Amino acid sequence: MKPINIVVLTILLVLTVGLLTLGPRRVQAMKGAFLQAVSPFLKTGALVQNQVTTVTTGLKSLDQMERDNQRLLIENKNLKAINLTLRNLEEDNNRLRRALNYRERAVYKLVPARIVTREAGTWLNSFTIDCGKNKGLKPDMPVVTDEGIVGKTTIVSESISEVILITDERLQIAADVEGSREQGVVQGAQLSEVMSPLLALNFLSKEAQLSVGQKVYSSGIGGVFPSGLLIGTVKSTNHRDLDTQALLMPAVDLSEIEDVFVVIGG
Amino acid sequence: MVLLYLFLLIVCSFLALVLQVFIPPLPWLHGAQVLLMPIVMFYGALALPFPATMVLTFCCGLMWDLFSVQVVDSTVEISLGWSIIVYSILGSMMHGFRPLFLRGRWEIHCLMTGIFTSCSLLVEYLFIIFRRHHAVLPPSVWWLTLGAGLVAMLLSPIFYWLLGRLADFVHYEPDAPFFEEIVG
Repeated sequence: MKPINIVVLTILLVLTVGLLTLGPRRVQAMKGAFLQAVSPFLKTGALVQNQVTTVTTGLKSLDQMERDNQRLLIENKNLKAINLTLRNLEEDNNRLRRALNYRERAVYKLVPARIVTREAGTWLNSFTIDCGKNKGLKPDMPVVTDEGIVGKTTIVSESISEVILITDERLQIAADVEGSREQGVVQGAQLSEVMSPLLALNFLSKEAQLSVGQKVYSSGIGGVFPSGLLIGTVKSTNHRDLDTQALLMPAVDLSEIEDVFVVIGG
Repeated sequence: MVLLYLFLLIVCSFLALVLQVFIPPLPWLHGAQVLLMPIVMFYGALALPFPATMVLTFCCGLMWDLFSVQVVDSTVEISLGWSIIVYSILGSMMHGFRPLFLRGRWEIHCLMTGIFTSCSLLVEYLFIIFRRHHAVLPPSVWWLTLGAGLVAMLLSPIFYWLLGRLADFVHYEPDAPFFEEIVG
């Protein structure tokens, strides 16, 4: 073997071994820095992709845009009014909880974000969003839409963050079943069921009687996801030797979403 | 010239990585992804001398790992650096076909690009299921790995032609001796 080959191989081997021995924090920091460095390319790519999609799906006429704008303005006013009522109810609720010596419910703030890229690899359920530390994001913050839970943040850099999706088997959420006392843990499908969009609700009691279409919400246990966020609906149940497992259809169609909210504070 | 062309291939690999992120999976191929970066890397393994091939595979592996590594609940599933090892092995194997490439043949290399792209995906899958303790290889996994390889194989002649023109543009000759060129 030529000396130059040996020198290059030795240097690269040392560097590779050095990388292989890095701890999670270093890896997190390196990936955050890399994402931040490539974010201008990713954001530009997302912008171009968005414009191409807009052209291919057809441009709206001015009349149509005007009508949409009017409808959205009315909807916005409506939602503001409902939000105000809910804020008052939240205050009342916290006041009553204080009176009963319960812990006050945290007030959450939603940060809007746009999806920049979808799955980074064939086997991963994740995407990146266009905000990070600059908007107050941190790792392990819930990501939701108006329909329900999407996932949680994992790596957060200055202006871009990575989100692991609810369909990833590593993400586990404590859950309650609507209209019953059943509690369990929701988990994404195993990697071997890579084409399956379903979620598994495990550790239900052996006698659990769930009906198709019943809603499943986060219970708030675990600390990452606040209680009351919709996870999905029951599709089928499977009574096993020690417990019952239910398969859920996620509330959010993850292939269609473009905008999400990150739940911060609390 | 080798170093300039190596640098250009690293830049092309990066651009291919960014571009492939925005190409949606192919529904008619069971959701297989279009992977462009391995095509550029395997072309580099043919066109560059061995040390430069190793540098290219190192850079591609590092970029891919930095892009795809996930840290969930303070756990790294696949350590940073595994793709470097996989790409280096596959790149070395591809480099073995270099004499044929220097004689102007390209068919076998396009076929090998497809096979090696599938191999890299399959190894990645095996790493993950090894870490998650469930060794299953359902048909969907074969579709995704072989589908991505098939697409890479079909796209590789176009990429090989483009990267060949890039070599002409910078006056890089793949069959020029490497060491002598570096020392002048």
